[in-house]
Amino acid sequence: MNSKVRPRFPLPLLRFWTLRILPIWALIALVIFLFQIAVCGIVHDNESVKTFINFIDRLPSFIKTIFGGESLKVGNISGLIAIGYNHPLVLTLYMLFAVGVPTGLLAGEVQKGTMELILSRHVTKIHAYICAGLITITGMFALVMVMFSGTVFATNVYEFSQEVPLHSFFKAAINGGILASAVGGIALLAAACFQRNTAVWLTVAYLVANYFVSIIAEWWPRMKWLKPTTIFYYVDGTKIFTESKWPISNMCVLLSILVISTVLGGVIWSRRDLPL
Amino acid sequence: MPCSLYQTTTRQIFHHNIYNNSAVKELGILLDRLNTGRDNAYKSKAKKITMKAIEIKKLSKWYGSARGVEDLSFSVEKGEIFGYLGPNGSGKTTTIRCLMGLLRPTGGNCLVSGERIVPGRATQHTNIGYLPGEFRIWPGLTARRSLAILARLGNGKNISKRQEELAERLDLNLDRRVHTLSKGNRQKVGVLYAFQHQPEVLILDEPTIGLDPLVRQVVLELIREAAHAGSTILLSSHDLSEVAAVCGRAAILREGRLNELAPISKIVQQGRKRLKVWFAEGTQVPSLPVDKLAGVSLIQQEQETLHLAYQGSIDPVLKWLAQYPVNRISTPQTSLEEAFIQYYNKNQPLGVTKHLDSELKEASNEQ
Repeated sequence: MNSKVRPRFPLPLLRFWTLRILPIWALIALVIFLFQIAVCGIVHDNESVKTFINFIDRLPSFIKTIFGGESLKVGNISGLIAIGYNHPLVLTLYMLFAVGVPTGLLAGEVQKGTMELILSRHVTKIHAYICAGLITITGMFALVMVMFSGTVFATNVYEFSQEVPLHSFFKAAINGGILASAVGGIALLAAACFQRNTAVWLTVAYLVANYFVSIIAEWWPRMKWLKPTTIFYYVDGTKIFTESKWPISNMCVLLSILVISTVLGGVIWSRRDLPL
Repeated sequence: MPCSLYQTTTRQIFHHNIYNNSAVKELGILLDRLNTGRDNAYKSKAKKITMKAIEIKKLSKWYGSARGVEDLSFSVEKGEIFGYLGPNGSGKTTTIRCLMGLLRPTGGNCLVSGERIVPGRATQHTNIGYLPGEFRIWPGLTARRSLAILARLGNGKNISKRQEELAERLDLNLDRRVHTLSKGNRQKVGVLYAFQHQPEVLILDEPTIGLDPLVRQVVLELIREAAHAGSTILLSSHDLSEVAAVCGRAAILREGRLNELAPISKIVQQGRKRLKVWFAEGTQVPSLPVDKLAGVSLIQQEQETLHLAYQGSIDPVLKWLAQYPVNRISTPQTSLEEAFIQYYNKNQPLGVTKHLDSELKEASNEQ
């Protein structure tokens, strides 16, 4: 019998899981891409913008806050295109991927009993965890890039009355990508600790709570102090579009959340008994 | 000349169970080379051949306050088929999962081919074929694709020929999606998964569960063939007849502790033996003096026959029977099942003993 052999990185597992995730990733990417084009299609025409803003103004004020608040006005092209970036549909699709992929790959395979088979081959627990993490984080960044490419494509198709600051949108996309990856990290941590359903519900509950706290803090001045407690505070659209430099401090906070949650998840995953 | 190694190796050949000739031949060659002291590399190779294939040392696993296994120690020789028996919840699967590195032991450790198993590290897994107790595989994929994925995760790249051969023997269609397969066919996929890369150690948890008797025989044949080719097999099973059919030795677990570790023949002998007595026509069958005959119990009484179970010597029973006109006496062979029940019967409360007696009675009725 061969002596102790250190397992190599399981590229076949990475490939297998990537191929399993690819159809849902492609569907989400397509919807986000088309949505950016649709938003640009609406906001390039001032008359459509006026109608849209009149409609929004008739709704409760927190809904306007959800879509961008005071930045929604005729002539503010960046603020209007950014609707496509922070629209609840887009955020929901991101969260679907960020939560669904790590919980599906780790906790899901454990629950299905197939993780026992994977780990009975020449695959370490940490390698399996890294595979799930790589797919989640790479997938999130790829989605963000698809979103940005949707904006680039739409600005070439439609004519705008003023120049669209694509550089700022790129910054927003990267910052958003790190935010989405941090959410993926939290989902990885949950998937490493709990069964699939518990992991999904905990991550979704965390995100929904963060989202509503950020909306309330934005909308209600007395609650402004809550802003930094939410993960969404660290993607500051106004700062990104008004300042030329990169929001390094915000990106560092999000990267810290990503690194801490991912490493903690990895430690728990490697020490946890499998299967449950 | 490393005398101790020479002695150990020689002892291994002559006194232990080495089941295949090629291993003995290889040892012979290695010993020759050791004697001439030509190559140090052969010394380490010879050492590997003499080491146990599987070793469990003082293994304990607790799930909070619930005991999985406690202070468990045994070893399996290379090329041996080792039975691992025990009722539900006795700790068989816990042991196997510790051995596979899926569970982190609370104490003690497991070794495969002399290498300590570190939980989650999978260092020995290319050499291990594993069939979990509850085999589940990706339902949306075909059996062929699922098996190919799992093979690629180890060293089983060139397994297609072996896969076809096994599929033919097990009468399994590999191109059907797993969710369309019956429970028995899914179990066949599991058997194929364990055997496809011709591992040196096979850990099989209930391999024949859900299989029909014909396929069960094929699986037992595969186990024997693997052992003949030099593989070591740890066979956990509830089906005692299959353990008796293929295993040389067996361990019996009870409540997480090792209850017995012995050759199968010894386990069978240790069971409660049976005696069937036909009295002469017209004789009233006497009632059993339980107080005078220790270790003897009544299984069944009919018009002219008495079916007894006894432990230890038959002498007191025969002396008691000598008082009556007896036509015929038979001693039905004790099955492993009865021996097995007997092991669990030890230290059991009375209610359980009665239950086991009724099981024996049912068994005798079936015969």
